[in-house]
Amino acid sequence: MKKYALYPGCVMPTEQYAYELSIREVFPILDIDIIDVDGFSCCGEPLKSMNKLMTLYLSARNIALAAKQRLDLFVPCPMCHLSLNECQLVLKNDEEMCNRINSMLVSENLQYNGSINVVHTVDILHDHIGVEKIKEHVKILLSGLKVATHYGCHLIRPSEIGRPVDSENPQKMETIIRALGAEPIDYPERLDCCGAMLSSNLPESALTKTGQKLQKVQDHGFDVFVDVCPWCHRMFDARQAKAGETVAAKLDVPVVYLTQLLGVAFGVKKEKLGFNLNLSPIEKLNIGDK
Amino acid sequence: MSIIDLTSMAEGQTIVRNEINERLIRLQNQISDYCFQCAKCTSGCEAHKLLELEPHKIVALLKRGLIDEMVNSDIIWTCMSCFKCWERCPQKVSPVEILFALKNIAVASGKQIPGKYTTMLQSVLSIGLIQDIQSVTTKDNVTKKRDDLGLPKVSKPIDSVKFQMAITKLAVEKI
Repeated sequence: MKKYALYPGCVMPTEQYAYELSIREVFPILDIDIIDVDGFSCCGEPLKSMNKLMTLYLSARNIALAAKQRLDLFVPCPMCHLSLNECQLVLKNDEEMCNRINSMLVSENLQYNGSINVVHTVDILHDHIGVEKIKEHVKILLSGLKVATHYGCHLIRPSEIGRPVDSENPQKMETIIRALGAEPIDYPERLDCCGAMLSSNLPESALTKTGQKLQKVQDHGFDVFVDVCPWCHRMFDARQAKAGETVAAKLDVPVVYLTQLLGVAFGVKKEKLGFNLNLSPIEKLNIGDK
Repeated sequence: MSIIDLTSMAEGQTIVRNEINERLIRLQNQISDYCFQCAKCTSGCEAHKLLELEPHKIVALLKRGLIDEMVNSDIIWTCMSCFKCWERCPQKVSPVEILFALKNIAVASGKQIPGKYTTMLQSVLSIGLIQDIQSVTTKDNVTKKRDDLGLPKVSKPIDSVKFQMAITKLAVEKI
């Protein structure tokens, strides 16, 4: 049984409960032990536009906390994942900055001393657990389900900061979904942004980005839209109706987390996976228990 | 101390400004060497399609030193940090990093910060997270919070005073 410290970030533990619920249901089935660590803070990425040094400090602080536990860090949010990895890269190459950050960390009795492994949902599932093991646990094959995948910008770019998937043709989610018997299909808008980062200052534009992408997904005739980012999911799922208004369309696309889909295939009850919290029309999906 | 003091850092915060300026000069030097205005960044820019942000022009303006003009413009706040410009630039120039630096300058020089950024910073200062636990509504209109769903306590800074002190120091003096 491999252990990971869970770094929940901000959006998942305060709002996107379905992601957290499904993670806590699915990973133990795959022999992954999730350890809760107290004391984490925001990774700093949402504040990067205001003060990049603060982003660096907050990320280093969280890494230092996890390093104390001597555990690899499981980060379900692509934004946090990018921020923590960028911090490790910057501090590795900039000794002066590393010393400055450490002089500030002292006040909380923390010290940043080098990198730890920071992994996202997709690379734990694909690289650490592996598709073969996932296949062993599949109880309900999701045959014929046409799936549109969405990775989230921060998970695929910039590849200079070691992203877990390819930047122009990511395939890890597709491989995992195929293992469940479903059929992931490529579409031209697959790598498009959800616009969530504009929510704080240009909310209308953010919703338009979401609406434009979902409208295409709907036109292509997909059965379900699968994502792995709490920020993107908030846009595509909770704000789907509003996003539809911005593009003058009635959007009707079921949106679920990859971990929710895995749970259904593993035969976990949908309520335990937080399906009652999805606000998109998931009742259209004829999978799992009623 | 109010939140505005923390973010504007007013006069006397020369160290802060120097820091960001150095970052910008570094970017400027790289760019004058490498960017040849192929506009591949703009062709893929997510904000371009909707809000007319043109990353290659941002680079061109920086090359010409028109920093104040950009800092005073709303256009720098239309970037949705999708990182396509950074990823696809054949010359490894990173317009998105320039935009971050310009926004940091705008904040450091006390310009009006658009939208909810200040609220997010305020929340991080007080509880360590960009927002506190939210109530969500289920499909059948039942309101739920974390505890109702059997989820454990949220992980946040244990000694919030010490945490605040470090962050405040960073926002005010930037060490």
